[in-house]
Amino acid sequence: MAGTSAQEATVDLPLPERTPIPSGDHTVWADVSPLLDAACKDLQDGMLIHGDNFNLFAAMSALEIMDPKMDSGMICKYYSVDEAIENGAAPVPISFDKTIDVQCTIDIMDHLLACEATWHKGHSLAQTVFSCIYLLRPDRTSSHPLLHSYCRVIRATCKTVISVVSDARTHEEEDLFIMTYGLPLNGDGDEKCLSMLKAVEETISRQLRACKAPSSKTRVLEDLMPLQNNVEFEEGYCKALLCRLRFRKHFYHVLTSMRRPQGRGLELARKHIASCISELKCILNSSEFLRSSTLVTHEGSIEDKTTASGRQPIGFDASLNCRLSAPTPPRAIKILSWKKAVEYFMKLLQDLDVICSYPLDPSLESVLHFVVEFQKSQPDLVARAHLQRLLVQDGKLYGRDPVFAVITRAAALRDNTRNHDIQKKESIVQLGQLVINLLKILCTNGAWQRRKLGKILQDWRVVYVQLEMAFRKEFGEKANISNDENVGMKLFQHILVWVEEQTYWIAFRFLILGFELELYSESEYCMVYWYIYVVLIKLAEKTNLKTVVSNGSGKRRGKKKRDSVKDVARDYQIPPSVLFLQCQICLAEGLTMMLAALRNDCMMAQNPSPFNTEHERFIQHFELLQKACIPDHVSFPLFMESTTHARLSNLVMYDYFKDAQRITKEVKSSFSSDPEKLAELRRLEQVAEHNSIALNVISRAGALDPSLKVSFEFNHHPCFATAVVKRC
Amino acid sequence: MELEMEGNSGNEEESDIIGGGGGKVNLSASEIEYVSYEGEDHLPLIMGLVDQELSEPYSIFTYRYFVYLWPQLCFLAFHRGKCVGTVVCKMGEHRNTYRGYIAMLVVIKPYRGKGIATQLVTRSIQVMMESGCEEVTLEAEVTNKGALALYGRLGFIRAKRLFRYYLNGVDAFRLKLLFPPRPDLLSQSQSQSQSSPPLHCNLHE
Repeated sequence: MAGTSAQEATVDLPLPERTPIPSGDHTVWADVSPLLDAACKDLQDGMLIHGDNFNLFAAMSALEIMDPKMDSGMICKYYSVDEAIENGAAPVPISFDKTIDVQCTIDIMDHLLACEATWHKGHSLAQTVFSCIYLLRPDRTSSHPLLHSYCRVIRATCKTVISVVSDARTHEEEDLFIMTYGLPLNGDGDEKCLSMLKAVEETISRQLRACKAPSSKTRVLEDLMPLQNNVEFEEGYCKALLCRLRFRKHFYHVLTSMRRPQGRGLELARKHIASCISELKCILNSSEFLRSSTLVTHEGSIEDKTTASGRQPIGFDASLNCRLSAPTPPRAIKILSWKKAVEYFMKLLQDLDVICSYPLDPSLESVLHFVVEFQKSQPDLVARAHLQRLLVQDGKLYGRDPVFAVITRAAALRDNTRNHDIQKKESIVQLGQLVINLLKILCTNGAWQRRKLGKILQDWRVVYVQLEMAFRKEFGEKANISNDENVGMKLFQHILVWVEEQTYWIAFRFLILGFELELYSESEYCMVYWYIYVVLIKLAEKTNLKTVVSNGSGKRRGKKKRDSVKDVARDYQIPPSVLFLQCQICLAEGLTMMLAALRNDCMMAQNPSPFNTEHERFIQHFELLQKACIPDHVSFPLFMESTTHARLSNLVMYDYFKDAQRITKEVKSSFSSDPEKLAELRRLEQVAEHNSIALNVISRAGALDPSLKVSFEFNHHPCFATAVVKRC
Repeated sequence: MELEMEGNSGNEEESDIIGGGGGKVNLSASEIEYVSYEGEDHLPLIMGLVDQELSEPYSIFTYRYFVYLWPQLCFLAFHRGKCVGTVVCKMGEHRNTYRGYIAMLVVIKPYRGKGIATQLVTRSIQVMMESGCEEVTLEAEVTNKGALALYGRLGFIRAKRLFRYYLNGVDAFRLKLLFPPRPDLLSQSQSQSQSSPPLHCNLHE
């Protein structure tokens, strides 16, 4: 056992024979055993050396020497990279038999792909990609052009990915990702990786042509050696190598094209993405050949292997770098299987393609909508970092549109306001920063995003109050307003309404992310839907007001040109965006009332907690919203007041779900050109329909049949639950 | 990096399946004896249980940090002299609140599903509440349905999701239990926490 006795640990450990680490210029090795012995004699069993700075973190970071669970030195096979190389862990060439050499090179390429995917998925670079000994000594591979060029492009690719992720740096997720621990990421000449890769690719494609040619004419003409010795396998090996090399080439191009400022490389990037995907498919198909061409019998399923051939690769040792991963205890990292790695890259490329096909719409509403939709496919860090870098460059949207212009457009203002002096005001500058921050936050993972959204609500509220004060100060006491001032006043009015609308939008997103992250339990759904309901009411109110204000200020400016024509025609009609919200409002209210009625009619089990009440849980869930007064005057007593009288018998008389159904039908035609909105409307409609039926069943049979059990599932919509009635 | 450095607590699940599965022990609740941490003799028992059931390796310093500073928050469950479960906690100031923290909760497999974990953790929470804590927190793996259900029944909410919190790459929930305000208790709590907590508690006392 780890802590039971220090003596045990020092006795009889079967250490392998190895040369000691030599003393250096600044290091001397000394035997500390007498010192430790003396210290131990001073300590009684159970005593703890305690310093002020020895807190929990220090305690948790402490390592017990010689405990293999903690001491990374224990599980190292070699002291150093050099020792590993001396022991033949990474020979160059890998084999003097050219066929075996090619096979092993392909295995290394495949295992590196698996390592790279594992790194992208959140493990350290040192323990994944750089577990490859060949990568650690850039010069050693120079006599092996194939391996050398591949290692170079891998290092260069890692470097580019790290730079995108660290540029987008907003949160803890990439802390581990960008740690490079002094790894040789800058191999001499790595920047020329593409030309080397191209030369190697050229040679192999000639070899492929040669082996396919009917006679040996071509070969003689070009003085070309075959790739390896086995004629039967020449074509297969050439093809397997070519798709791997070409994938690397195109992938590197994707990364560099996407980095070009203001999204100028997106179109080119899409072409390379398409090539990448097709090479990836070839790589996947090569697996069959690679497995059949080796004589090794395979143990276990290919699903778990890190190479297409199913063999163990040569030249990898994760323990060489594990001493660099302090302060956490060493853990063996499970490298993703080769198949999973290919799947990962397929998904990454598709996600990047979605980003590249976005038309860089200057409307903030469109950007927000795009990001939210993009996040639904749960993209990983690398794709999200690329999106963020595209959206925010040099403090501008796409590095192109100044934030103030983005805000005035979002607030439905005219173009001539874009250079107004107002943008120099402190509160407007702050608002600009909030918008930039919001965009960055929306690109982070769901868990982090929700926490950050909760925190920035307060900032949005504060900026609103400041703007309002500035507005009063500027225009409050004046009777005569000049034309220029008139423009300023309008600006303020519009921006104020828009800030409120945006704040409620953030609050809504914060609340529904709780469903995606599974933060709510069934007993809390009632209060959550009630809160969503009150937030949505406010959001709809502000969205409507924005439309009215912009209609009132002359020509409609706005994002939805297609709506404006209709709106003029039916002046006082509710805009479709508001109707859409109303549909969600009906669902949220319906679910609140249904859940409350089920509770009040004792049809859902209530288990009071021994330590607190629903009130405390309400405070905890909505603390951040309450602190920011979102919305004003909303409290637990109000929630109780709104729900204590809910009864199933009343709900059937007034069915909110029927309202929701009616509105979805009505509003569909307004979104006929927006397939995403239509799909969402269909989902909402289904929730409404199923809940309406469930409500009827429960109210008719429920009172008479105590065996009826109601539960809630998310089978039609990720946030709006559907009641499921079962007899047990 | 999250500012709270409490690290990785493992909260082993307490299965709801009663009598299911091989190797389950038949016993009545009254056979389990709950004991507050009594000193160095208990430490190997606690370490044995945690090392056996949880994957996270903790150094001896981590255990001592907890049991020496907050022995009153550490409990062990015994069945016929054998230690079958334990809970290890701490409490202290955290961003202007006085907060309890459940670091480790373990019940060995054959004894799960018998309410032992609930009994253990309830005792710790009770002491925290009496000592003036305003809230209690802990982390649990999102996949640990048993632990989540257990804490849910005690009134904990899932306050946050922590992305890839554990070294094995699994997300965690930060669970929180907020106590109702009890101004009457605040003044008493100081004196109460001074007196030693009951060492032996039978389940049906």
